[in-house]
Amino acid sequence: MKIRIDKARCVGNARCAAISETLFPLDDDGYIAITEVDVPPGQEQIARRGARACPERIMIIEEDSK
Amino acid sequence: MSETLSPAVARPDHITDAVFYDFDMFADPAYLANPHARILDMHKSAPPIFWTPRNGGHWMFVSHSANFEASRDVEKFSSEIVPQSKIKEMLAKLPPGAPHIPQPLPINIDPPDHTIYRAPLQRAFSPKAINELKGSIRELAISLIEGMKPKGSADFVSEVAEPLPVQVFLKMFGLPLEKQAAYRALVKEHMENIKNHDPAMIVRRMLKLTAIMKETILDRKENPKDDLISMLWQTRIGDRETTINDMENYCVVLFTAGLDTVVNGISLGAYHMATHPELQQQLRADPSQIPAATEEMLRRYTFTVPLRRVSNDIEFQGVQLKAGDRIMLFLPGADLDAKEYPNPEVYNHKRENSVHIAFGAGPHRCLGSHLARVELQVVYEELLTRLPAFSLDASKPVTFHGGHVVGPDHVWLKW
Ligand code: HEM
Repeated sequence: MKIRIDKARCVGNARCAAISETLFPLDDDGYIAITEVDVPPGQEQIARRGARACPERIMIIEEDSK
Repeated sequence: MSETLSPAVARPDHITDAVFYDFDMFADPAYLANPHARILDMHKSAPPIFWTPRNGGHWMFVSHSANFEASRDVEKFSSEIVPQSKIKEMLAKLPPGAPHIPQPLPINIDPPDHTIYRAPLQRAFSPKAINELKGSIRELAISLIEGMKPKGSADFVSEVAEPLPVQVFLKMFGLPLEKQAAYRALVKEHMENIKNHDPAMIVRRMLKLTAIMKETILDRKENPKDDLISMLWQTRIGDRETTINDMENYCVVLFTAGLDTVVNGISLGAYHMATHPELQQQLRADPSQIPAATEEMLRRYTFTVPLRRVSNDIEFQGVQLKAGDRIMLFLPGADLDAKEYPNPEVYNHKRENSVHIAFGAGPHRCLGSHLARVELQVVYEELLTRLPAFSLDASKPVTFHGGHVVGPDHVWLKW
């Protein structure tokens, strides 16, 4: 599973990092530091919660196709 | 508090019947009696985007989708209520040696300059930097709440909600003790005039603020300390050094954006908890739910109303807007929109979609949101830990004010 992030539109709400700082690392200004999260197995649920917490709705969840 | 309605202005040609609705955001009687109940009613009785003839005539964006889209479209919706080019012209006409008229940058400026003026503040207000302040914010909250506790009944607004953000600021700014009294007096004047939106008076108060701060600002340039002012001197604005005028602008924006917002936010939360004893019980039993409760109270009682100016004639969500029209981003309406939040009137901190826009959306997203969240959470935590079950003091009914920062004038609690 992957999370794709439209980093240019991040405005620094940091709600994703409030769910998981390791999955969603921030830069020193408090904006998202990455454009994509390769979700480690077992962390799908928390990754989904983090992505959905974004008020700007700039995180797209890509579920693995089975 | 009852207020006189502002006179209705003539309706411009592009305002059709379908988008006309008479609402005075400063004086509507039902709004002042219970703001958020009136907003819920508005979702049923008013168009999602409407024009009101009150207060000079302006648009109100009530739906979530209109607020979200407009906040993120800085080209169509400018934050420069007076265009910066005009402000520059006006300032250039001032006589030489006239005091610098501070401006609340970056609130009232559009990208790309917005980005340049906001950047230096960013790090100091990042989640990481704010987390380091949490301990001292908690100490302040504890001392205010413990100070109020023996009284058995008190106005929560003046005892806790007002002093807390002021003291947090004094700490961040590192203002010397002898200046603090003057600063507090000015905050008091500012709060007492929250209903008065006369621009000349606001400028006078901002000049008073910069007069109080100036000595400290200049001193920190030569003798940096561990405070926000010293830090701001050391950053650059784009490719140039920070000037005293920039420093004054920053002090003004933090003063106007970071005090009465927090006061009203904490007070609305206390009001909700006072009227919902079962929630107090639930949160006392499991304080780990307080962060989620803080978010849901922000959603249920969103209370700030930012302004925009329409840049060019456009059609927006089926409505004709004309260049120069003023827009109220009515965020309290957005967060009570049933299309986004089923049963919006129901407080439920476990609701499926709890993502609100109380701190705005787009590039002007509240710079102080991380600080505000910590202040709110810490106060709720300490209030619930330290006070027994509290309720409203029925002998002193809660009254509300409208305007750009909506909330209760006083919240008398008893316990
Ligand atoms: C619960 C409390 C607060 C709420 C609900 C709130 C809400 C908002 C909103 C909605 C905006 C966007 C305005 C716009 O789009 O034009 C904003 C901007 C801003 N806020 Fe807050 N605010 C709060 C607390 C604070 C605090 C504590 C500070 C300061 C330390 C602060 C500083 C700012 C600044 C500087 C801006 C302008 C940002 C920009 O234009 O880029 N706010 N706030």
